[in-house]
Amino acid sequence: MGKEMGKDHLQGALDLLVLKILQRGPAHGYALVQRIRQVSNDALRVHEGSLYPALHRMEQADWIASEWRPTENGRRAKYYKLTAVGRRQLAREREEWGRVAEGVAKVLRFA
Amino acid sequence: MGIMKKLRALSRRAALDSELDEEVRFHIETKEREYVAEGMSPREAHEAAMRDFGRVQQTREECRDMRGTQWIDNFWQDLRYGTRTLFKDRRFAILAIFALALGIGASTVVFSVIYDGLLNPFPYKNASGLTIFQIHNADEGGVRGRGAFQFPEFLDYREQNHVFSDMVGDAYTSVLYATPTGTDQLDGSYVTTNTFPFLGVQPLLGRWLNDTDGKPGAPPVFVMSYRCWKERFGGDPKLLGSQLTLNGKSRTLVGIMPNRFRYFGSAVYFPLSLSRDTPDGVNEYNRPRYLVAEERLKPGVTFAAVAADIEVVAQRLAKVYPHDYPKRFTIHVDSLASDVVGDSKTTLYLLLAAVAMLLLIACSNVANLLLARATVREKEISIRASLGASRWRLVRQLLVESLALALVGGALGCVFAYAGIRVTAGIIPDMLPGEAVLELSGAVLLFALGITLATTIICGLAPALHSVRRDLNAGLAGTAKGADSSFRHGKLRAALVVVEVALSIVLLAGTGLMVRSLYALTHVDLGFDPKNVLALDLAFPEGRYTTVAEKKAFFSQAVGKIQALPGVVSAAETMAFPPYNSDRSDDITIPGKVHSENWPTLFDVCSEDYFKTLGLRLLRGRLLSASDVDSGRFVAVVNQTFAQKYLGANDPLGQKIKFNVFDQIAQTPHNAYFEVIGVVSDVRNAGFREPVQPDAYIPYTITAYEDRHLIVRTAVDPHSVLKSVREQIWSVDRGVAVADEDVLTNVIQQYTFAEPQFGLESLGSFAAIGLILAAMGVFSIMGYTVSLQTHDIGIRMALGAQRGNIFRMIVGQGLGLVVAGIAIGFGVSLAVTRLLARELFGVTSTDPLIFAMVVLVVLTVGALACFLPARRATRVDPLIALRHE
Repeated sequence: MGKEMGKDHLQGALDLLVLKILQRGPAHGYALVQRIRQVSNDALRVHEGSLYPALHRMEQADWIASEWRPTENGRRAKYYKLTAVGRRQLAREREEWGRVAEGVAKVLRFA
Repeated sequence: MGIMKKLRALSRRAALDSELDEEVRFHIETKEREYVAEGMSPREAHEAAMRDFGRVQQTREECRDMRGTQWIDNFWQDLRYGTRTLFKDRRFAILAIFALALGIGASTVVFSVIYDGLLNPFPYKNASGLTIFQIHNADEGGVRGRGAFQFPEFLDYREQNHVFSDMVGDAYTSVLYATPTGTDQLDGSYVTTNTFPFLGVQPLLGRWLNDTDGKPGAPPVFVMSYRCWKERFGGDPKLLGSQLTLNGKSRTLVGIMPNRFRYFGSAVYFPLSLSRDTPDGVNEYNRPRYLVAEERLKPGVTFAAVAADIEVVAQRLAKVYPHDYPKRFTIHVDSLASDVVGDSKTTLYLLLAAVAMLLLIACSNVANLLLARATVREKEISIRASLGASRWRLVRQLLVESLALALVGGALGCVFAYAGIRVTAGIIPDMLPGEAVLELSGAVLLFALGITLATTIICGLAPALHSVRRDLNAGLAGTAKGADSSFRHGKLRAALVVVEVALSIVLLAGTGLMVRSLYALTHVDLGFDPKNVLALDLAFPEGRYTTVAEKKAFFSQAVGKIQALPGVVSAAETMAFPPYNSDRSDDITIPGKVHSENWPTLFDVCSEDYFKTLGLRLLRGRLLSASDVDSGRFVAVVNQTFAQKYLGANDPLGQKIKFNVFDQIAQTPHNAYFEVIGVVSDVRNAGFREPVQPDAYIPYTITAYEDRHLIVRTAVDPHSVLKSVREQIWSVDRGVAVADEDVLTNVIQQYTFAEPQFGLESLGSFAAIGLILAAMGVFSIMGYTVSLQTHDIGIRMALGAQRGNIFRMIVGQGLGLVVAGIAIGFGVSLAVTRLLARELFGVTSTDPLIFAMVVLVVLTVGALACFLPARRATRVDPLIALRHE
């Protein structure tokens, strides 16, 4: 049973995941969904209804750029890649996430 | 960056949409292939993939939303949908559009009057900075004062102030010029030579006056106004550069100004180069000329700053010109436009208040209609909500619909406004600056647009919020006309109708009071008969007719000749004529009567037929005789007020009066005592509202001072003898001009009746429109109530109620609303009309008769409005009604 990530959870976490995965190389939406599941050992499942609006939002903010490319079976798909601005945003979000995680850990220990 | 993307998104909307579709399709098909590879059938795979993806449409919409341009799409969609639904419900749309058009149209007309007439009437450069300042006597009432200064005084103000970027001056001069038959008169101005650049209006032909024109020894030149050029000289362009003999001096016309240039209303402008060396200008009575000053504020300077700065200068100058400054004074500062409009501002404010109320009535009406419609559309709204439309989305859609309605109403309103402005420009009395042009200008149209948007929000917001707030399930269940869900609407609607009726009462009360006031005003007993009396203002050539002998020689001949004309009953010379002020002596001396406070009196110098011409009645003694006038005897006829106030119980005849002011006037007997020889009936001599002042009539031949008039009573239409009168005047002396002539009734009409009449016409129109709208409101809500109660009525009839009972019940309900509105309106009127009190004449602001009539009118109209719905109620077939729910 994976935890479903959607609008209910921190939207920033989804952004962070996408940016990180795209750091390795461009991917299209379907691939992103698969990758997140793989890497987290099925613990995180992103719902398409949340992913695509997030991708479009991040593209509007210039963190990622899109490009239509043909796939192996001849169809074409929309690939997203990280931009320079996006790289900076990724670094920022990582830092922020680290701080949040630390804070939560502290509270669990001492509160 | 974001903006560019948004713009691009807008332009490539269709392409981006299809890309999004393709992206989603790719995802779903890839998943499908996986499932097929796992062993599902293609159809199962497709269903599973779709299920996994979830709500496709919503996701697509969200992606589109991220583009940030969705609101435009939605707006366009809503607008198209809204216009379609409005078109289907045409009756509602027409009523609402009509109500809006009336409200918006009327508001726009009033705005145009205030904007084009009071706020921005002048075509001059930087017109908003034009100001005047006046020396106001602190011991007197009012706020205004002396705004004209002697030449050196003017220069002092100009040089010593720190608040004006420049200052210009204008001195009136009466200009006579010869015509083939006699002499005509023009209003002229000596203007300081910086005036034309100050005003900044380019001449139509020729050039401005400049500084060299005014220097001593410069060739005499002048500039003419457009109206004079067109009306007196036929608009002949060849006039430019020609020479005209004005006041005996030959001058060259160097410029003609365009039509909107109406500075001081003068026909001709002469240059005045002011410097410390300029000799003091004096007029024909050897009194110093005063320059009426206008200034332009330096940027950022306030009126308060001007008052403070000028106060300092004025205190200094009060020591130099002690006669011109009162003991205690304050500085009054105002914008030029405001000063020109003056007291007429109250009429403008009245119009503003009235049209605001009318707009409120119109908005209530439209809101009411929208609410009624909302009830009917509950089902539709509930369905849309269940399909996923958010509350906010629904409200937006309803607002856009209201906007569509308002835009059409606004457009029609602009058409009404155009017509209204034309009519107003035609009937408005002389209360706005001459330069003002009332038209549907850009600013006015902008206002109309603003009002339209405002009414959208006012009328549309409450119904929109109301529709969406309710329990949407109930709507779906089909109980759209159920009493419960519509009850809340009903209360709000009833409240709106009550408000409409109340405002209607206020407008009608104001109108009624003004009707009565105007009636009283036009039926004031003046004490004389102004009908068929011609009054002529004479202008004498400069330098002549300065002695008693000259004036006497002229008038005795002229009056005699005019009296001999057929159709003329009587003619007289006089200094002034009632009902407006004559000249005044602040104090008189009567031997044998000591008084501590001032005894002021008016006095008129006139010829012996003055009394006959105006129709005054002799009460005691005798009138002035021809020999009194001829020999310039020191005799006086007083009016009854004078006799009662100053001459006491003793016999007035034989007592003597000295008019103290004569001691200060040249060419007038000093220390002269006039014997009272008669007492005449009172006439109104201080306007309509002031009580009759003490007045004395003395022969005109005792002084050469002041301007003179001729009054002529005719048996026929006065205008028909005008030409002959002028001919007779010129037969005595061709050089004397008739500066102004009018029938006395006309003068009174212009000065006293015109403005209240205009106010009444405007207020009356607004009140009539308001009443119609209020009646419409009552009618519509009664119709709605009846349909709500159909079930009820059915039951009652089935239980035996007669048609008459039903009819009375419905009318009673309707009248309940109307009475509630009347009660509130009554209360509000009592408070509001108090503000009108100063403008009213002969009627109190709470006149019971008027209020009673207004209540009666509204009650009747309200009852009539209920008539049709009530009749419809009686036609209800109980069987159908009972099956209705």
